Amino acid sequence: MEKPIFDYGVNTTRRHFLSKLSLGLGSAALGSLLIPDLFKGGGGEPDVNELMAGLPHFAPKAKRVIYLFQNGAPSQLDLFDYKPMLNKMHGQDLPESIRGGQRLTGMTANQAKFPLAGSIFNFKQHGKSGAWMSELLPHMAGIADDLCIIKTLNTEAINHDPALTFFQTGAQVGNRPSFGAWLSYGLGSENQNLPGFCVLLSRGKGNGQGVYSKLWTNGFLDSVHQGVQFSSGENPVLYLNDPDGMDRTQRRKMLDNLAELNQGTFNDFGDPEITAKVQQYEMAFRMQTAVPEITDMSKEPESIVKMYGPECLVPGTYAANCLLARKLSEQGVRFVQLYHQGWDSHGGLPTEIKGQCMDVDQASAALVTDLKQRGLLDETLVIWGGEFGRTNYCQGTLTKDNYGRDHHPRAFTVWMAGGGIKPGIVYGETDEFGYNIVKDPVHVHDFHATILNQLGLDHEKLVYKHQGRRYRLTDVAGKLVKGIIA
Amino acid sequence: MSDWKGYVYNIAFFLNGLLVFLLFFESRFAVPQWMQALGRMHPLVLHFPLVVLILYSLWVMIVRKPDSHAWNEGLADSLLVIGTFTAAVAAFSGFVLSHEEGYESDTLLWHKWLGIAISLAAVVWYGARKSLLPWTVGAKVVAGAFLVLLFVGGHLGGNLTHGEDFLISPLGPSAEPVQHVAFEEAKVYEHLVKPVIEQKCLSCHNEEKSKGGLQMQTEALLKKGGKGGMLWDTTKADLGLLISRLHLPLDDKKHMPPRGKVQLTDEEVVLLAAWVKSGSRFDQLVSSLSPQSPVYSYAQNVLGGDRTEEQYAFSAASADEVKKLNTNYRLIKPLSAGSPALFVNFYNRANFKSQDIEGLLPLKDQIVSMDLSKMPVKDEDLKTLAKFPELRRLILNFTDITGSNLTELKKLANLRELSLSGTGITMAHVKSLEGFPALRRVYLWSTGIGPQDLETLKKGQKIAFETGFRSDTLVVALNPPVIINEKQLIGKGETVAMKHQIAGTVIRYTLDGSEPDSVSSPVYEKPIAINGNLKLKARAFRKGWYGSTQVSKLFFKEGFHVDSAQLITPVDQRYHAKGAASISDGKVGDTERVSGTWLGYVENDFQSYLFFKKPVKASVVTVSTLRSFGSFIFEPTRIEVWGGADPKTLKLLKVITPGVPAKDIPGTENIVYEAGFEPQQLSCIKLVAKPLAKIPAWHSGKGNKGWLFVDEVIVN
Repeated sequence: MEKPIFDYGVNTTRRHFLSKLSLGLGSAALGSLLIPDLFKGGGGEPDVNELMAGLPHFAPKAKRVIYLFQNGAPSQLDLFDYKPMLNKMHGQDLPESIRGGQRLTGMTANQAKFPLAGSIFNFKQHGKSGAWMSELLPHMAGIADDLCIIKTLNTEAINHDPALTFFQTGAQVGNRPSFGAWLSYGLGSENQNLPGFCVLLSRGKGNGQGVYSKLWTNGFLDSVHQGVQFSSGENPVLYLNDPDGMDRTQRRKMLDNLAELNQGTFNDFGDPEITAKVQQYEMAFRMQTAVPEITDMSKEPESIVKMYGPECLVPGTYAANCLLARKLSEQGVRFVQLYHQGWDSHGGLPTEIKGQCMDVDQASAALVTDLKQRGLLDETLVIWGGEFGRTNYCQGTLTKDNYGRDHHPRAFTVWMAGGGIKPGIVYGETDEFGYNIVKDPVHVHDFHATILNQLGLDHEKLVYKHQGRRYRLTDVAGKLVKGIIA
Repeated sequence: MSDWKGYVYNIAFFLNGLLVFLLFFESRFAVPQWMQALGRMHPLVLHFPLVVLILYSLWVMIVRKPDSHAWNEGLADSLLVIGTFTAAVAAFSGFVLSHEEGYESDTLLWHKWLGIAISLAAVVWYGARKSLLPWTVGAKVVAGAFLVLLFVGGHLGGNLTHGEDFLISPLGPSAEPVQHVAFEEAKVYEHLVKPVIEQKCLSCHNEEKSKGGLQMQTEALLKKGGKGGMLWDTTKADLGLLISRLHLPLDDKKHMPPRGKVQLTDEEVVLLAAWVKSGSRFDQLVSSLSPQSPVYSYAQNVLGGDRTEEQYAFSAASADEVKKLNTNYRLIKPLSAGSPALFVNFYNRANFKSQDIEGLLPLKDQIVSMDLSKMPVKDEDLKTLAKFPELRRLILNFTDITGSNLTELKKLANLRELSLSGTGITMAHVKSLEGFPALRRVYLWSTGIGPQDLETLKKGQKIAFETGFRSDTLVVALNPPVIINEKQLIGKGETVAMKHQIAGTVIRYTLDGSEPDSVSSPVYEKPIAINGNLKLKARAFRKGWYGSTQVSKLFFKEGFHVDSAQLITPVDQRYHAKGAASISDGKVGDTERVSGTWLGYVENDFQSYLFFKKPVKASVVTVSTLRSFGSFIFEPTRIEVWGGADPKTLKLLKVITPGVPAKDIPGTENIVYEAGFEPQQLSCIKLVAKPLAKIPAWHSGKGNKGWLFVDEVIVN
């Protein structure tokens, strides 16, 4: 008798089973009602408009960026990353354990040996942080206390075009919006009379690599966010001047009439691109007076000319572009992008890099000092660096005083100044071969995330929905480099 | 099982099911408004299961056998089902409550999972109570485990609401509430050092209990020291008593704080040591330190240096008002979304009027930063600017102010940063800045202040002066002048012009091949007429600068028009340019772009005819060649000029034999040969130039043939 009773207690009848099942299902059903997006695909992520409302996300430290891009990749081992070990082992083969299966470019992949090449340039420590810099950079050395030298940038690309594109757009393939375009999209222009994103090009005598307009593209963003290239010729901005025989009042009248017509079309069709176009015409009209004011260098005091070097008055030089960059930035241009070509020293590096440094050293340092003495360095972030580094081993024949270096993505040096970045520090360490990172790596995505942070933007929230997904400058990666934030 | 127990158990079962479901999708669960109230019932409900389940568990542990008088099945079941039900309600409400913000995550995590475990275990226990009778060992173990779960879970819950040390804190020393201070305002002693001393030292070194005769409450008492003497001595390697005691091993009797007391963290020790080392100052601001200093990093961690936003006491202006006052030339924007503080930037000098500043007065309680760089701001306008009481940062670079009204700005009680670079202010005006209440940083580059005065300013304590770059003692080299003419072939009446980008720079030049100097060479005043083939050399000079390097360019007098040209020997196919046409196309002397304009010869001699339809009276033939030893390009070893009426009747007119180069000359240069002869009527000219047959021994390509490059032949 006891056993059946026991069994009865232990075993569940069908009725019990079903009633418990219904309770369980009921509880799950109620639960599902409490989670509204549960059965919608992908749910849970907030809306783009919600994310983009209220920019900047928090009070920015930097309002503007000047990016001095050293196109072609300067050799970190001859400028910043002092490695006496390479001099000691000059000519010996790079140990395979250090190379660690690194993918090489077609230019050195077939080399039988990878002889280490120590820099022939002398290094000294500068500033309170004791940052090492080579004799090629006397002016930058002079502002060591203003610089945050990051020795551990690293990228995924090993060739110029993908690497450049990666730095500029956050992806190695083209057609994504450029960094400046993202900022223009996120923060708009400060000065309504100038574009928010300007591009300046110059060329050194060293082995050059191409710069293409895809690097300052708006990608899938609105075309107003595209970078505007300033040229060194008579007309810094193309097609801005009135044609011969047309004066400003006539132009004004023409624009007014055109705007009327456009307004009419807008009333009929309601296409917002039409009003965008009218605004662009208006801005171009205002640029007609704003641009000459900026490109006129005659009012710069002599001390400025001495500081940047007299080349700064020769249009199209790097020094001139640095000076122009300061003027544009001062006038509220959100992102000024410089490119200086000629750093791709596969051979004859000692000669080439000397020339390149002559071009950029003084003017880069002058730009930082100039912003500082105007009280603008706090809110302007200056960045100096290339798309990757150069190898510690020689490409081609290694002699006592001549060598070349191939592309090196694993570790290279970039510096920043101002914009709420810690001044006077050296961040990150590479191994004694200068080949691998041993401490505090900074990936390109991290670099982007940190710069956006300085501008008051959360890199995870600056998004644009395109072709069914939300895009970010940092794609799906990137973390803040807290160690360099002041 | 009586009916009510069934219902209650079912509800408990249902709640647990719901709970488990929500746990699965927790990351996507947002508490609906109405449910929040349920969550907040948690503190009320949680006591029921605690009491009831503890009661039941204890009872299970006590019961010995089924026939004992303590065995009352109905009551036991009732207790357990009530416990199960209330535990489910408590767990569920707790789960909802946990989604509100503000709970410490670690404790919360444990409390949450223990609570859920209790609820689920109770349901299972009730379901299995028939097979797990109270007098079995298993039941006693379960009951014991339950008691542990209940006590631990309950205690953690208490910690959550009342704080970690709520229970024991009355037994320990009481802690001061943490003061919040903006990073810019924080002082090293007051906000970093003092809190450490208060927490870790003061309990033994105070008025009532001054161990070792030391009291540490105030600056004066710290400076006084104790029985052992002064607390610090920066001349000693161990920095004196205070720091050396901290560094002693914990076992040492003299180690401070003594064993058993709360110890300083490593960071705190580093902080105190750095503070003492730098002179143990009591007034120093953290922001005045270098960011490399360990004190600075400590402050960043403690005060939350990164992304600290100033909190503003004022409320935001109406968005409409801000929008209304924004123009194309006057940008007004909040510092960040949701910030009440506004910044203003002005653009375009030509559009600026003083009223543009006055027009901002409706926003005077919100504007914290104004940038008026390069605007024609007058001294009187400072009176208007003084009406913006919230201004923290004011940039007046390159405005028209002279400084005479600068004291007006003293009214700005919050003004921290003032930039006066590029204005006319003088030392007397700068002195008046000392009285500005909040001023911390002033920019004075390119003003009317002399170099000596600037030196004295750098020593200022309260205000940091940024004096910028000075050029008065710096001498640098000028860049060379620019020769404007691109074309090197100069026609009749054409001139050569030069310029220099720095206005007022003197250009001196020579045409005779000598080096221009700053004294005797002619000064360039107007474009130079060119007569004949010559080399223009020029340098730029200016007071206070070193002379520039030399710029030079060859110019050729335009010759007779060549009607047709013909190459007799074939040009090397790697450097064929445009064939015969290249030698009379007017493009000459381009040393930058070699391929495309230059004809290259290595195997053959260069030999060509020039034909003129009408005979020309010629006396000179000019041949332009290239020299670039590094690229194996050499001067010709022999040039022959032949002339006549047609190719069959040519006479040798002139021979030039430049010879073999004896040593290396770096770089690339345009080398020109002029072959002069008696003036005569010619319809056909034949030109022969021989490349170097054997490269000399000093060159890396010794023994090979040298290249010859020719780009133009000019007949005058």
